[in-house]
Amino acid sequence: MDKRLAALGLLGVGFFVAGSIILGVVGGRWLDTRFGSEPLWLIVGLLLGVVVAFYGVYTMLRPFLDNKQNKGNS
Amino acid sequence: MSRKGCLGCSFPVLITIVVVVLAVGVVSLLSGALGKAIVGDVGLPELFTVEAPHVQLPAEGIFHIGGFAVTNTLLASWITIVILAFFAWAVTHRIKVIPSRLQNLLEFALEWLLNFCIDVAGEKNGRRFFPVITTIFLFVIMNSWLSLVPGFGSITFTAIEHGETHVLPLLRGANTDINFTLALALISFVFVEYLGIREGGLRYFTKFINVRQFGRGVGQLLRGKVKSGFGGIFMGVIDMFVGVLEGIGEMMRIVSFTFRLFGNMLGGEILILMMLFLMPFLLAVPFYGLEMLVGAIQALIFGGLTLVFATMAVTQHEHEASESS
Repeated sequence: MDKRLAALGLLGVGFFVAGSIILGVVGGRWLDTRFGSEPLWLIVGLLLGVVVAFYGVYTMLRPFLDNKQNKGNS
Repeated sequence: MSRKGCLGCSFPVLITIVVVVLAVGVVSLLSGALGKAIVGDVGLPELFTVEAPHVQLPAEGIFHIGGFAVTNTLLASWITIVILAFFAWAVTHRIKVIPSRLQNLLEFALEWLLNFCIDVAGEKNGRRFFPVITTIFLFVIMNSWLSLVPGFGSITFTAIEHGETHVLPLLRGANTDINFTLALALISFVFVEYLGIREGGLRYFTKFINVRQFGRGVGQLLRGKVKSGFGGIFMGVIDMFVGVLEGIGEMMRIVSFTFRLFGNMLGGEILILMMLFLMPFLLAVPFYGLEMLVGAIQALIFGGLTLVFATMAVTQHEHEASESS
């Protein structure tokens, strides 16, 4: 597959970042209301969401980054 | 070639066109909200006044079949289906070697789409994916272009609900209904997952639940290799985390497909409504052109993304096989 066409898949990156952070926050809030431990789980969920977002974007971008490096080395 | 004239028109015709455009411009400026704010109400006849647009997010129900509400967006999508089916029938019932104009147009479009599919997915897979991708593409583009046709939104009917009378548009672009875009996104999602499972079998799920490295680490730990065992377990936990991430990404695709199409189409509709309100007749025309472009791009993105993800799902284990060898 052409690399430029494969890059079409990156259109979803923004949604992935927003979605994983929102999922983390909503999940944290839900746990907080269940256990009455505000704002512990909210913060944990937020951090988890941010980590997941960054790592996910990194894995999505890796094929493109690797390719660039290989080109530079060879 | 005569030097008289300009832009392919003789001078009287050109002057008439300029005068008409200017007149329409002045009238639209005076009748729109923009002109009213600048020069005030000049008392134009009822015909030229524009009401403030009423934007509603959910689709409006028109009538009910049993307990099932038929909304104006659903009606519009039915019309799209009828038109596409009619096109297909009109072209294929008398297909010729030397194509007629209509056949030529459709052949051009389909050939272009087929080449796009083959470019992305390769010869064999491209031909396999082509029907689904083309259906999605044609359906979305037809929906968005139909919603620009006069009559969409302007033909209204009066509904009485809970004792209140509402004036509702009879037709509304199907892409502006989130249920429609969600359904399309689910179709695309199921298509991609089905292909992945069919191609890779149960191994497809190792993408999401990846315990191989973890199991290897535990095995090494049991055999007494403590250091490499713990290392393996640590890597295994990361692998599992990546698998979960993969699953989240897959789910997020539905959301992104849904909201991308819905947002773009609803935004375009509201944009045109607002432009019609601010300065009717003239200012809305360029935005109609813009919306045609946006509709085509969104259809291409929807079809193209489904194609790219389907190709990824099919070729995924090929990569794994080549990596492990």
